Amino acid sequence: MNYIPNFEYRKEMLKEIGVKSIDELFSDIPEKIRIKKLNLPDGKSEMEVKKQVTEILEQNKKFLSFLGSGIYDIYVPSAVKAITGRSEFYTSYTPYQPEVSQGMLQAMFEYQSMIAELTGMDVANASMYDGATAVGEAALMCSRMNRKKEFIIPGAISWEKKSVLRNYAKGAGLKIKEIGYDTETGKINLDELKNNINDNTAGIYVENPNFFGVFEDEIDEIKNIIGKALFVAGVNPMSLGIIKSPAEYNADIVVGEGQSIGNPMGFGGPLLGIFACKKEYIRQMPGRVIGMTKDTNGRRAFCMTLQTREQHIRREKASSNICTNESLCALSTVVYLSLIGPDGLEKIGRELVSKTKFLSDELNKIDGFKAPLFSSYHFNEFVIQSKNDINRIHKKLVEKGVDPGLVLTKQFPELGNTMLCTVSEMHSKEDLLTLVNGLKEVSHV
Amino acid sequence: MEIKKDLKYTKTHEWVKTENEKMRIGVTDYAQEKMTDIVYVELPEVGKELKKGDELCVLESVKSVSEVYSPVSGKIVEVNKTLEDSPDRINNSPYNDGWIAVIEIKDGLEIKEFLNAEEYEKHIESEKA
Amino acid sequence: MFRQARYDEPLIFEIGRKNTSKSERNNVVPEKISRKKLPEIPSLTEPEVVRHYTRLSQMNYGVDTGFYPLGSCTMKYTPKIVEEIAGFEEVNLHPYQSQSTVQGSLRIMYELEQMLKEIGGVDDVTLQPAAGAHGEFTGMLITRAYHESRNESRTEVILPDTAHGTNPASAHMAGFDVVEIPSEDGMVCLKALKNALSDKTAAFMLTNPNTLGIFEENVCEIAEAVHDAGALLYYDGANLNAIMGKARPGDMGFDLVHFNLHKTFCTPHGGGGPGAGPVGVKSFLRKFLPIPQVEYDEKKYYLNYDKPDSIGKISPFYGNFAVLLKAYVYIKLLGGNGLKNVAELSVLNANYMKEKLKKHYPLPYKNLRKHEFVLAGSELKEKNARTLDLAKMLLDYGLHAPTIYFPHLVDEAIMIEPTETESKNEMDKFIHAMIKISKNPLKNYSPKNTSAGKIDEIGAAKNMILSWKMFKEKK
Repeated sequence: MNYIPNFEYRKEMLKEIGVKSIDELFSDIPEKIRIKKLNLPDGKSEMEVKKQVTEILEQNKKFLSFLGSGIYDIYVPSAVKAITGRSEFYTSYTPYQPEVSQGMLQAMFEYQSMIAELTGMDVANASMYDGATAVGEAALMCSRMNRKKEFIIPGAISWEKKSVLRNYAKGAGLKIKEIGYDTETGKINLDELKNNINDNTAGIYVENPNFFGVFEDEIDEIKNIIGKALFVAGVNPMSLGIIKSPAEYNADIVVGEGQSIGNPMGFGGPLLGIFACKKEYIRQMPGRVIGMTKDTNGRRAFCMTLQTREQHIRREKASSNICTNESLCALSTVVYLSLIGPDGLEKIGRELVSKTKFLSDELNKIDGFKAPLFSSYHFNEFVIQSKNDINRIHKKLVEKGVDPGLVLTKQFPELGNTMLCTVSEMHSKEDLLTLVNGLKEVSHV
Repeated sequence: MEIKKDLKYTKTHEWVKTENEKMRIGVTDYAQEKMTDIVYVELPEVGKELKKGDELCVLESVKSVSEVYSPVSGKIVEVNKTLEDSPDRINNSPYNDGWIAVIEIKDGLEIKEFLNAEEYEKHIESEKA
Repeated sequence: MFRQARYDEPLIFEIGRKNTSKSERNNVVPEKISRKKLPEIPSLTEPEVVRHYTRLSQMNYGVDTGFYPLGSCTMKYTPKIVEEIAGFEEVNLHPYQSQSTVQGSLRIMYELEQMLKEIGGVDDVTLQPAAGAHGEFTGMLITRAYHESRNESRTEVILPDTAHGTNPASAHMAGFDVVEIPSEDGMVCLKALKNALSDKTAAFMLTNPNTLGIFEENVCEIAEAVHDAGALLYYDGANLNAIMGKARPGDMGFDLVHFNLHKTFCTPHGGGGPGAGPVGVKSFLRKFLPIPQVEYDEKKYYLNYDKPDSIGKISPFYGNFAVLLKAYVYIKLLGGNGLKNVAELSVLNANYMKEKLKKHYPLPYKNLRKHEFVLAGSELKEKNARTLDLAKMLLDYGLHAPTIYFPHLVDEAIMIEPTETESKNEMDKFIHAMIKISKNPLKNYSPKNTSAGKIDEIGAAKNMILSWKMFKEKK
């Protein structure tokens, strides 16, 4: 296959330019740094490459997994891929010329609108990289708005998210404070939160459901506790068909990982950073935003707007450095949500709750296990505690072709032998029972 | 392009009008023309103390951002709130309806450094060249 | 003749039946947090949804539609096999899956790192950054960690006035003050650089070839001056397409390099993303790279988290794997020889177009360019029009406009990057249109063959309708 035309015109074009050889076009590169060739194998045919890459990828084993913590195995309807697979969309760039980019612009406006509907916020941006960087950007936004320098987070969030946040906070000199959780309920410790709020608190981040899959049902209290500090809510968008929108508990900014509404897991990327806020904060919001307007003929049209916040205009004073975002993943999400509709979203949420309850009840019956560890309502995941070495149990099950969940002994040693078990909409009842039976078998080894 | 005879000017294209111990500030016709359609004005808070040369406010058009610098040191005693809803007043009436803020002057001597209409016109010519 | 689809396509919210009443089933969550009213997303059938978005796609212009010479963006054609492989079910894995069960993915990542090392002339690579700007931010955090490890307080990052906007924004986000230096004859002014360098300088960020498409001939002297001052030299890889297989940033003296996989390795742009922005470093910076690093012990591939000096994490997992896979496939298809052809042909194409166009639009600075060139639209002004009008007129020919009004040091800038995948025929069409327009540019031009006429961007900024919710409120 040839992807590079013009070999046959090479001479004619060189003549037009007035040089004798291609090398002459590179004469401005100093001799001592020129190379003859790259030490890489020569190109291969499409057929060969496909065969080779397929063989490599087949070394991956996909099997029954109960992993989650932000990334969830979902069913992506075929129509989603049919739309995102249209090359008018996926081979376009950031819509700098709105007159020829109305399709993507309208789709992104619809994405922003749907995120606004889910979260109850007025506006969302057209995506950030992922849920973790969205938290980082939210912390910076809080500090920009009130010029305060402390940001409070729950200690119980994924360590990766904490690490990303710390990197985002570094440049602005933001101090990150962690709040513990109630060891009975797994919910954030509101007293500790209250004691840590001070005049220098820029904002606070709370996830609902939280890292342990527990619903923070006291979340209405938070806005009262934190006073003038800004409230950043972290959402699992799959839960927003059954639980209150963050607007209803007075969040100022909403962030979340949007992979689970329309995108495959992709071994952790690309993901979709959800970022929404109230309209009064819009000028401090990071990222690209699409607005509705008209064309010269008075017809409805769309374009990028509020660009003066962005790096290509504001440079070092921009609200963020983000340029390339996750538009195509946002497109998947808007098509996905249109296909499942509000009822579908509610149904997925309800089913996850009841399947999760079923699984934890069954696991709790096994001798030597406690599930769920926390006495609270759970969404799609829960902590399971074992009397025995959980790492060994985990390993044994993986050998049997089942990944029972994320082992928590490193991040939460205080919980003992625990694991975070996640239920997905892809799990059948048989799948859930396979885990139950598997754990029964290996629990005494 | 209009340059009003009765106003004083800065090299960074602000105009000032002395009103007793206070000074009314805006941007010139030349400046608004260069910025094109202003769509947003980030106004300062009343009561804020500024030094000469500090950022007074930010004007945004669709594709550019311009800072307006305070021509004098002093305290902001009034801002033109109507610009929040109608930023285009700066384009339509830079010397009247489009005024930005009033500052209570701290240092009377700073006033001497301003350009008069003639000097400002020359300054624009030299900038163009 | 070009005619883009022009549907009066309603918002998806305006198509469907509204169904927002909550069903009469029992709550599965505590009353205190249960949702009383379902979110107002549309309720539609699959054919309705598919038709809506198919129509929208027909109102969108991509590389597969036609010529897309957006400067500094490298809008090249993406081989279809790339997309196909990224959609394989073996790619859809959970990132926490045990390493023994994801050997295929780890191998792809490891091998891609090796390939990028060779292409960039660097000693190690992290694949974690999700985009070019994210790579810059990673590079700036590594720069910070490096100076801190030497107990040096360096607070400034220098960059030339031709730099992309992401450079100053990324440096600022990492906590640095930005110092901009002027160019001389379209290149870094060595004197200005030397004056700006001090024991406060943390790094100098440079794109080479720069955004004017000019190769920074003094790059070795620049590197020497930067290193003499104890600072690091950072390579913005946006324009790597021009020199692949001809020269390597590492050999020029760059200490950190980011790659834009969606540009150079056409993964493609996806309407604005996702991309991937791996960062390569010289060996003395290796220990600061984000965790985990993909490694190989001659038996298996594994993720190494044991790096005490690492800056930590910049993305939650290992980067945009599906995008990385596409770049891997692309590099395998082209190989070392193919990548060199890419650079040669992209430079040939750009110089050909430049030669044809410079008689009609002024070409500031030196003549020889790499993969892109910047013309001045100043003469359009004499005819009462602007570069913006040129852009809108080009759209009517079925050609995407170049990047306009950047870099700022060229008056009414027109930045053209044809890439290697355009045929002479396509380029000639563009050249012809540009020449025709130069003779008779029309002020305030509104395109007629596009899905929309000229857009009222001022109205968009003033009225601020950013969601269906805000739209309903305005109504």
